[in-house]
Amino acid sequence: MPEIRTGNELMTESAVASINFKEAALKLLPEGANFEACLTCGLCSSGCPASGIENMDPRKFIRMAMLGMDEELSSTPWIWCCTLCKRCQYVCPMSIDVSQLVYLARGNWPEDKKPSGIVRSCQLTRSSDSTSAMGMPPADFVSVVGEVLEEVRATQPAFSRLQAPIDKRGAHFFVNQNSREPMSEPEEMVPLWKIFDVVGADWTYASKGWAAENFCMFSGNEDAWREVIRKRVDAVNELGCEVWLNTECGHSYYSMWHGIERFGLQANFRLESIVTWYAQWIREGKLPIDSRWNTNGIKFTVQDPCMIVRKAYGDAIAEDMRFVVRTLVGEENFVDMQPNRSANYCCGGGGGFLQAGMTDHRRTYGKRKFDQIAATGAAYVLTPCHNCHSQMHDIGHFYGGHYGVVHLWTLICLSLGILGKNERIYLGPDLRG
Amino acid sequence: MSGSPRHFTTQLAVIGSGIAGFAASIFAINRKIVTAQVGNTGAVAYTTGYLDLIGKLGGTTDPVTDPWQALTRLRETEPKHPLCRVAADDIQRAFTEFTDFLGTCGLAYSSPGACNITALTPVGTLKQTLCVPATMAAGPRALAANAPCVIVDFKGLKGFSGAEVVANLRDRWPQLTTQRIVFPGMDRGEVYPEVMARALEVPATREKLAVALNDVAGSAEVIGLPAILGMHRPDHVLAELERLTGREIFEIPTMPPSVPGIRLRELFQQVLPQRGVTLIPQQRVTALSFADDGATLALSDSYGPIRVHAQAVILATGRFLSGGLEAHPAGIREHLLDLPVTQPADRSDWYRERYTDPRGHPIHRAGIEVDDSFRPLTREGRRHHERLFAAGVILAHQDWIRGRSGAGIAIATAFRAVTEAEHFLLS
Repeated sequence: MPEIRTGNELMTESAVASINFKEAALKLLPEGANFEACLTCGLCSSGCPASGIENMDPRKFIRMAMLGMDEELSSTPWIWCCTLCKRCQYVCPMSIDVSQLVYLARGNWPEDKKPSGIVRSCQLTRSSDSTSAMGMPPADFVSVVGEVLEEVRATQPAFSRLQAPIDKRGAHFFVNQNSREPMSEPEEMVPLWKIFDVVGADWTYASKGWAAENFCMFSGNEDAWREVIRKRVDAVNELGCEVWLNTECGHSYYSMWHGIERFGLQANFRLESIVTWYAQWIREGKLPIDSRWNTNGIKFTVQDPCMIVRKAYGDAIAEDMRFVVRTLVGEENFVDMQPNRSANYCCGGGGGFLQAGMTDHRRTYGKRKFDQIAATGAAYVLTPCHNCHSQMHDIGHFYGGHYGVVHLWTLICLSLGILGKNERIYLGPDLRG
Repeated sequence: MSGSPRHFTTQLAVIGSGIAGFAASIFAINRKIVTAQVGNTGAVAYTTGYLDLIGKLGGTTDPVTDPWQALTRLRETEPKHPLCRVAADDIQRAFTEFTDFLGTCGLAYSSPGACNITALTPVGTLKQTLCVPATMAAGPRALAANAPCVIVDFKGLKGFSGAEVVANLRDRWPQLTTQRIVFPGMDRGEVYPEVMARALEVPATREKLAVALNDVAGSAEVIGLPAILGMHRPDHVLAELERLTGREIFEIPTMPPSVPGIRLRELFQQVLPQRGVTLIPQQRVTALSFADDGATLALSDSYGPIRVHAQAVILATGRFLSGGLEAHPAGIREHLLDLPVTQPADRSDWYRERYTDPRGHPIHRAGIEVDDSFRPLTREGRRHHERLFAAGVILAHQDWIRGRSGAGIAIATAFRAVTEAEHFLLS
């Protein structure tokens, strides 16, 4: 039996039981949709950065499903290289959604054969009430937030009364937090706190369900995905917040938004994105940013995260992001990536690819993103997504790029003149001060 | 969570995102009509980039070299053809306005001339067309001049073969040769024109390709390539590659998925919102209703339901591929309003015996009926609604594929539909 290398694992084809993709596909599709409507035109494959990896592409996947090649589809490691970004569906004249079949195939793999990084992240997410994919327990999170807050108050006089509330009942915003910051770079939490301070937001973190990431969804483990989302929904309901505010993290929004609908959960709150609120606060004059700091005409581009643009809000949030960025860097210093908005390419960090251990494949996928960025000539890429951030950072180094990748919160605080010296780790020497 | 619809209000709603739909939006914004455009992706990504008016007349196999004369002939032989409802001057104006718009967006086209241009197809046969993109213009010129030319194709590229192009043109173009090279950085597996085109937006890739092209070009003065000269800035990529190679370069369309179609689609999706159009692409309208004070379109995107409230509507939903028409065992239906569809009396009459019959097949002339104001008609021959107009290949009495007239019908009828819609809105 041939061996298939997936990340740092070795698995055999016989390890995965076959499923009937055609039958499953017919059950999955909404009324009127039909995988057999595929014209085999290849727009999906042409527009997919994963095409060719593991000798597979979206068109081939569909054709093999229609031909009943279930054993091959049940065992191809390509399903862990597809980032579930749905660009294939977006460009398909028949709106055929390959990602549904890929998700199905992921769920069919035995847990011990799935890429261990994704499985481990899911296990850690379920290991405590934090729902943190890095396994940070509630007490540690509370402690880190407290320590960082204390340090800011002590070292930055302008913020001697800065707040970072936890478990504040009735706060307007329940703010989620990607675990990377409290675990690895806690100073990166501070710019967002400062922004909340400037606009006078009524917000809170929570000790339970505070984390953003959700690799259970990417593992194809439906029960685990539901469990994580339920825990987060319960946490928000318990505090009585009006809005679950997703910060700069792409898949956290999608997994929560889609999960609530998918699993029929009772959410007594609205789900909103920080990007929309940045735009609103600027329009209301509460966030008085401008581009006067950019005296050297540094060029910026933006990365539209699939999970909040193409897969959720659509182009409306992409427009909000551009409004924020143009205001921040100056109209003449903004260069859009092509294609963009809902047509944008996934960076290659989504779908759990960053955690899957398939580094060569991930970088092959990311070459198209690298070309997109290189074509802009921009010195920095701004993106409100941690996976995008990490992937673009990595492919930039790997392919010899000379751009930086920055969160929006960093530039907002830079523009406001309130960015601390230790909050500039993603800025280059030109902006590090 | 809220499942409440998001509401948009507009003067004109265009349903459809093919050439007709996008042309309608362009004509509308040029007339300062507040416009929203919706509709799923359509077949625009399959276009060659050529803008045909009339390439062949029904029942004949001879190519049409003078489309304006052919138009006069069409008025005599097929008076119900949609192009016969549009004055020649209006067709000329429509093409000029459409191509001018594309030119301002970085995708220059030749102006509609007195004669058709003899252009190259993906397999090296020839066709007649009215306007060609600037990136393809040097091909017909080199062909006419029998210039020394090399067609370069790429290892791993399917759907385009230099050898095939040369084999089909050898008699007519003796100085045509071909070479195959590796596209920079793509030496393994299948390569796609779309991917190469995007890579050529990067200066470093252009420089590497220019070196590879000059290595094989020999004494050729002109280089022909599959259509890969950039996606977003094709005119710039062409100019840069010509500068780097010191030779004239042109593109030939490839089989789908081809760059010229994707280029047009992305250009429209990029530019129209910048020009004020509310564009909701890739979503199919599920219901359209009319009231005394306006029309309402219902659709959904990933985020939830959407309602578009419009004073006037242009239906440009295309034919079977784009979903404007649906073929059922009992007959052909227009899917959105169930407008009556002119069609063969029986399913057995849809096709003739021989697939290549030069007269074409009756099903290809199926479509909806309109009056001279391009308002769809009911079975009783009355206007379906004062606020409803139609454009493009959903209209009956034309076989655009056989007539090589797809873009012509789309652009000309969109021009007229917008003109009529404007009159209605002003009234």
